[in-house]
Amino acid sequence: MPLETKLIALAILVLVATAAGIFWRVNTGKAHRVRSGEQVQLARLEATKDGSAVKAFGKRATFVQFSSEVCSQCRTTARILGEYETKHKDVLHLEVDVTDRLDLAAHFNVLQTPTTLVLDGAGRVRARIGGTPKHGAIQEALESLEIR
Amino acid sequence: MSKPTPTQIDPRGPRFGAAITSLLLLVTVWLGLDATTQDAAFGLLVAITALFAIGAIFGNSRHPYGWLFKKFVRPKLAAPKELEDPRPPQFAQAVGLFVAAIGIVLQVVGVEYGVAYAAGAAFIAAFLNAAFAYCLGCQIYLGLKRVGVIR
Repeated sequence: MPLETKLIALAILVLVATAAGIFWRVNTGKAHRVRSGEQVQLARLEATKDGSAVKAFGKRATFVQFSSEVCSQCRTTARILGEYETKHKDVLHLEVDVTDRLDLAAHFNVLQTPTTLVLDGAGRVRARIGGTPKHGAIQEALESLEIR
Repeated sequence: MSKPTPTQIDPRGPRFGAAITSLLLLVTVWLGLDATTQDAAFGLLVAITALFAIGAIFGNSRHPYGWLFKKFVRPKLAAPKELEDPRPPQFAQAVGLFVAAIGIVLQVVGVEYGVAYAAGAAFIAAFLNAAFAYCLGCQIYLGLKRVGVIR
C-alpha cells in the first residue's frame, strides 16, 4: 500500500476516534426532561440507605442512580449527587445496583451506568441523566420541577 | 452494594496504560496495512493480546504498565482526587482481549487487513479511554448483560 494511503488511513482513524470522544463528552451527563413520566414504585427498587430500607421519597425530589459493578463513573456520580443531597434538605439520593437487577434495568430501559432518574416529590419521573451529571445538569433538572 | 469492593486504585494508572496500548495499536494498524510488514503487525498484535490477557485476568495492578505507572509516573504526580474501582478497567481489558483475539483469528484464516481492522477497532476504545476517560464498562457492560452475552 502506498505511503500516502497509509497515512490517510491512520489520520482518518485518529480523527474518527477524536470525533467520537468529543461527541460523547458533549452529550454525556445532560439532563433530559421526561414528559408524562411513570410513577416509580419505591418498594420495587429495594433501595437501602445507610443499611436500612428506604420507605419514602424525598419531599421535593429524589435522585435514583442506577449503578453497576463495572462502572468507574458511578462513584463520581454518587459523590456529586450525595453532595447535593447534603446541601439541600428534602432531596434524597438513592443508588441502586442493577448488576443483578436486570428486571429494573429492563423496566427503566437502562443501557449505561450511571443512569440517574430525577423524581418529583410524588415519585414521578421528571428527568433523566445518562453518565456523570454535567455541571448544572442537576440544577436544570430540578428547575424543570420548579425546585431550586 | 452486596459484594465487597476490592482495593481502590489510582484512575490515572489504567489511563496511562491505555495511552501506551493505543500507540502500540496505531503502529499495528500502520504495519498491518502493508503486505511487506504484515508479519510484524501480526507479531505485535499477538504481544498486545497477551498484555490484554494479563490485564483481564490479573487486573491493572499486576499488569506491566501498572507497574511502570507505580514505579515511574505516580511518584511525579500529586495524589489523585478520587480513587477508582479496579473492576471497570479490568473489564475493558477483557473487551480489548476479545477484539485483539478476533484480529488474530482473521489473520489465521487469511482475511486481508484483518489485523489492521481489529487493531483499529481496539485503538478507538483505548484512545477514548486514554484521552477522554471514556469508561467502556459503563457504556456496554449492562447492555451485554441484558442481552445475555455475559452473565
